[in-house]
Order: sequence, then C-alpha cells, then structure tokens
Amino acid sequence: MTEFFTVKRIDNSRVVRIAAPRRLRECARLVGLAALLATGVLLYAWQHFQCIQMSYQLEELKAARAQAMEFNQELRLEVAGLRSPMRIDAIARHQLGLTAPVPGQVAPMQTPGGPILAQARRSSPPAAQ
Amino acid sequence: MDWRSPRVRLLIVAATVLFWMVAAVSRLAYLQLFCYGDYLNRAERQQHRIVEISPHRGILYDRNMHELAMSVSVDSFFAVPSEITDHDMVARLLSRVLDTTPDDISTKLAGSANFVWLARKLPPEKAERIKEMNLHGIYPVKERQRFYPKHQLASHILGYVDIDEKGLGGIEYSLDSQIRGRPGRMMVLADAHRRWFDSSEKGAEAGSNVVLTLDQNIQYIAEKELSQAIRDTHSIAGTILVEDSSSGEVLAMANYPTFDPNSRGDASSDARMNRAVAALYEPGSVFKIVTLAAALEEGITTPDEVVDCQMGAIYVEGHRIRDHKPFGLLTVSQILAKSSDVGAIKLGLRLGAPKLYDYIRGFGFGAPTGIDLPGESRGLLRPLDHWTVVSPASISMGQEVGVTAIQLISAMNSIANGGVWVRPHVLRGYGKNDQLVSTGQVESRRVIQPTTAATLRSMLEGVVLEGTAPAARLEGYTAAGKTGTAQKIDPSTGRYSPTKFIASFVGFSPINNPAVTILVTLDSPVGLHEGGDVSAPVFKRVAEQVLAYLNVPQDEPVNPGLKRAGYQPKSTALEADSSDFDPGQFESSTAPADIVSPPQQHHVAQTRPPTLALADGEVVTLPPLTGLTVREVSQQCARLGVSPVLIGTGVALEEVPEAGTTIRRGSRVTVRFGRQAPPMRTTPSGERKN
Repeated sequence: MTEFFTVKRIDNSRVVRIAAPRRLRECARLVGLAALLATGVLLYAWQHFQCIQMSYQLEELKAARAQAMEFNQELRLEVAGLRSPMRIDAIARHQLGLTAPVPGQVAPMQTPGGPILAQARRSSPPAAQ
Repeated sequence: MDWRSPRVRLLIVAATVLFWMVAAVSRLAYLQLFCYGDYLNRAERQQHRIVEISPHRGILYDRNMHELAMSVSVDSFFAVPSEITDHDMVARLLSRVLDTTPDDISTKLAGSANFVWLARKLPPEKAERIKEMNLHGIYPVKERQRFYPKHQLASHILGYVDIDEKGLGGIEYSLDSQIRGRPGRMMVLADAHRRWFDSSEKGAEAGSNVVLTLDQNIQYIAEKELSQAIRDTHSIAGTILVEDSSSGEVLAMANYPTFDPNSRGDASSDARMNRAVAALYEPGSVFKIVTLAAALEEGITTPDEVVDCQMGAIYVEGHRIRDHKPFGLLTVSQILAKSSDVGAIKLGLRLGAPKLYDYIRGFGFGAPTGIDLPGESRGLLRPLDHWTVVSPASISMGQEVGVTAIQLISAMNSIANGGVWVRPHVLRGYGKNDQLVSTGQVESRRVIQPTTAATLRSMLEGVVLEGTAPAARLEGYTAAGKTGTAQKIDPSTGRYSPTKFIASFVGFSPINNPAVTILVTLDSPVGLHEGGDVSAPVFKRVAEQVLAYLNVPQDEPVNPGLKRAGYQPKSTALEADSSDFDPGQFESSTAPADIVSPPQQHHVAQTRPPTLALADGEVVTLPPLTGLTVREVSQQCARLGVSPVLIGTGVALEEVPEAGTTIRRGSRVTVRFGRQAPPMRTTPSGERKN
C-alpha cells in the first residue's frame, strides 16, 4: 500500500502574541526595584571611597600646612639672626662707614597731635596737577 | 522525568546559582559575624600608628617682640640594626658625615637590634647628606632644637636648655613648666603604602611664649660697652644693669664673662653664672646713699649741715677708721659728693644701729629682690643682734655688708623713683599665640618720702658735678649717682687686698624725671681702679646712647664745641666705599669685642652732616613757691609748663628743685605743704648749673 507523506506547513508569522500587561508591570517593577537597590549600593560605595580619598587629601594638606608652618618658623629664626644688633652694628661700622651720632646731633622731632595734623592737612591746598 | 525538558534544565541552573549564592553569603556571614573581631584587630595593628608629638617650646621675645630664643625642627637619625646587612659599610659612610670613627658607629649598631640613635639634631647640610645616601635601616626623625639667634645677647637672662629642651638656666629654667608645653600623641591610620588617611591629636599643648622687659638694642649697648670696659681696664669680670626708673623693668643685664647658649657646652660655669643676681661684693661708698637717705628721712640732718670730718680719721670704740682723703669741714651734701667715710660714719652713728638696719632692709638689702631669675643671692647682712660695736660705722660706709648688683640698682632706683622701692623684674607677660597676659602689678613699697628722695637726687647730682664722678657727666642730660671703690677680700690672707678692688658707679638720668637707672661694676681693674675713674665713664657712654635711643628729651644744653664738631663738612677721604657691600657675605659671628664703641666726646671723627637741625628746648627758671596755696602752686606750675608733685595740704613749705633753678619744661617739681609758716633758710652752698 502506498503511503503518502504530507507536510503541513504552519505559518505562525501572523500570530500575534497576546500581551500580558500585569506581567509586564510586575517585571518592570522588579527591574526598577533592582535598579534602585543597585544605585543605592553604588552610591554608598562611592561615598565611602570618596570619603577615604578626601581623608588622604586632608592628611596631605595637614602635612603641607605643618611643613609650611615649620618653614615659616625657620624663616623667622633666620630673620631674627639677621636682625641681630651685633650684626647690624658691625655692618654699619665696618661696611658702610657709619658711626654713632654725638650727643645733640640728633634731636627728636615733635610732631603735632593727630586731630591737629589732620586739620592742617585738610586745610592745605591740594597739590597742582 | 524528562531531563531534557526546559523546566528541568531551568531548575538545575537555578539550583546551581542558588548553591553558589548560599555559599557566598554564608562565607560573608561567617567573615562578618564570626571573624569580625579578629580581622578588626589585625586591621588596627596594621593601620594604627601612634606618633609622639614633641611639645612646641614657647618663644622668648624682648619687649619689642623681637625673637630672642625659639625652637625649630631638625633631623635626628636612628638605625634599626636588624635591617642593615653590611654594618661596616654603613659605619664607613656615616663616619665621614658625622665626623666620627667607623668604630664608634659600629659599636652603636652592635648595641641593639631594634633601635639605636646615631646622631641627634644635626645641622641641615649633614642631614641632607645622610638622606641622599638612602641607606636601608637608617631613618630620619624630626626633633625640636632650641636656637638663640642673637648668640650671646642676654644669655644670662635667657639661660639655656639641654639636648631634650629642658631649661637649665635663666628664664628657660625658671619658667620651664610654662614654656615647655605638654607632649602629646597622634593616632594615625596608614594604608599598606604607609600613606596616612586619618589622624587625631591628643593631649599636645604648645608652650607659652614669654615677653621680657629687655630691649635688645639697649642690651647690646650694655654688652658692647662692658666688653670695651673689660678690655680697657683688664678687669676679670663686670656687670652693667639698666633699669626703667619708674617701673623697675630691667632693660638690660650684661655680665662678663659671657657665653653663647647655642654652644653652652663650651662655656665654663663661671661664664654661665649670672653675676648680676648671684655675685656678692662689698659695695663700698655706694652704700652711703642708704646712710644719708636714712639720716635725711629721720630728720637728724640736713644737706647744709656742716660736719667735721676730722681730717680723715675717726676712732670708733677704740678702732681707728681712716678716710680715703683727709677732709676737714664738709656739708652733708659734700660728704656724699666727695665720699667722706668719716662723715658717713658720723651720720650712721647718729642714726643708730636699729634705725640703720631698718632702712637697709627697707632698701632691699639682706633679702632677695624677687627678680624672676634663678640663683639670686639674698646678700649678706648680719642680723641686728649679731652686729658688733663697730658694725654701724663699717656698714655706714659700705663694708661688712654683701650686696648683689640687682639689690644695689634697686636701692638707687628707689631714690630715682621718688622714694618707692619697686621689685626689679624681667618678665613682662606670657601667653599662647597672640594672647599675651601681662604679669600685673609689681610689688612696691615706700622707703623714703618724695621730698627726701628729691633732696637726695640733688645731692647725688653734686657727686657728678663737683664730686668723685665728673666722668659721669652727660652731654645734654643731667645725671646723678654715686661711686664706690671697695677692696676685695684676699682669700689667702682673709684680709682686705691692697690691690684688688670692685669699682662701681650707680646713677640715673635725667635727675628731675629719671628715665633710666644704670649700674656699672668692674671687678679687679688693673691700673686705675676708682669707681669714678673706670666705672663712671662707662656709665656716661651707656647713658648717652640709651637716652638718645629712648628719645628722652634733653634737659641740658650740649657742649657747643661738640655740636660744632658734628657739623663739620664730610671728608671724602673718610667716606666708606660701599659699592661692593653685600650683606649676605657678612658673618654673624663677629664677637662684641670686635665692635668699636662710640667715639669719646673729645675725639669726634664725625663727618656726616646731621639730618635734623638741633633745636634747643625751652627752659624755665623756678620761682619761689613757698607760702603759696595748693591752687596757686598748681597755677604757677601750669603757667611754667612744669609738672607739680604736691604733697600735703596747707601752704607750700619746701620745693625741690629749689627756687632759682633752671629746669626744662615738663620736668617734675616736688612741693611739700603744711600748716606752719616756713622757717628762714640760707641759700645752699655751690651754684646750681645753668
């Protein structure tokens, strides 16, 4: 007996899958929650490491400040040494040829008081341009 | 069950994922919950470090906030010998830098496996050389070191510290607890690369800064002149003190020998001794100011009373005491001016031992002054019940009593200050950062009345004008003081030495409104040895410079010849060529001995024209004020432009300076009032200088 083999062609291309809105909403909610959770974790981690970075920077700034203060102290010490009366006296005498004034050679100036001086300055004519 | 069905496959994958998730979470839970403590401890051990913080020692300033002593960080080096592979090589390399032998360093390295000091507080250049070597096992550490940038300036007041910055002398010692500060600890978190990422300080406290009453420029003037005087007189030691007459603030305290606190190890104990407060000596004739002050205050004599000085010899209880010169009849003013021992003895005997003792204690002798420096001696004054029959006589002329320089200048200062003894002090204030707290009111007490003090000031001027100290006469200023020449005790014989003397001069200027009191003492001058010959000229040089520096108005005209010399045209031959001047090349180690002191008034080489025209100040002649009321006296003084000091009520009985005296505007005039009519008075002997 002869058998006939038939192929049934099934074309499902025109089949439209019916969307399940509830399912989609559930899925979207799930994804959103997961994203939120992930963002929170990432944010926490970022802050934590940012804090550590800033701690490093803070310590570097503290060290720089301490170094600057120490350098300032060294400079003050150097200035104090340069301002030594002995040194200045020797420079004045030996290098510049200066000598101490004799008594009476230098007289202190007697300047008028503040208000009087201010009034004198205000009443004096301005300098010509 | 069909293993190939999608459902089963999904279940297998899910089960696998679930298994790994459970494993991971379990591991996390185990680590976080059960092993938390253990890992926390390990982290702390690795990250936590404790750094010791050395306290910042406070800065010492002069009164104008110039730094006199301060600390900075310097490098010290230590070794961890267990980390060094080749000890010999390291020792060889370091020995060249540290100026020591390799064996020394090898011995140190062999001493411990973990820590050994190699060198502490090295100069920067040596520290840099060691750092450049980059030797494994050798580590730098910062330590604080004290520096005194002005070297030996005020060294006896500042003091010095040891290698651990502990005060050992001077203010560094007496205020060590305030200046030192408190060490602290810093808790540090470090990562694997030893970078710090967190730190917190605990307990560290910086030391207080201290402001002294010293003026570094006046101190330098005093040290320079002392050094010059020592060289000129070949003395073995000396002291110059400068004090503010009204407040008792010590503006300068110079001692010789001196030392550099930066290298205190090179100085002998003799050089480090603060002679101004610790060295005792018999004051000699300077002490007559106490005798005469007491006699005048008690009213048992007057400046014009004539005393027979018995041609230079007096017998006291069978003991013959000789004067330095045979004087006949002298007024009490002349006794002081010419420094008659016999005259002083007669006044001392008239006063009596108990009263003399009271005034000696009143003037601050026999007890420490309380100055804020360590090692002060209380002086030598026997209790009254230990006095012999000769003691009042001896003590009246300045023997049988030991004083310190600070006691002597404080006593003279009482006279300059209107009769009030003020505690001498070097501390002006202290505090942290810019918050400085003043030390507050200084102890004072009245010793003699203002009129007595004013009378004494006039008499002391006589010492300079016509007495034993003409060399103390100042140009442009009035001055008063007293000389003293005391024999030293020869330790080998226990008797007074005929060749060793202490030459002193203590004085103040100007006399009507004293600005500064100055003491000069020279120990064992060779050749000339009288106070008037060797110490008075030093007083003059110091006083003229200090008064000009302080801008104290002159109250005397300057010698016209001196002024003319100052106006001479500049000689080009003497003009210094400063075209190659480079301040950076100057070495700051020039000793004061190399500095030339200002020229004497008769050897003026001044060639530079003045920058200001000299203006003579206004002077007024004091009219008689006796018999006037308080209001009338005030009006007269206001008209004259002088400053009255009014004592008592009623009518004016006495004025100092006396009527007819020429004084400068702004000077002080002391007027005593009372209820009775003034007695008839004779004019004083000796003309007042115009």
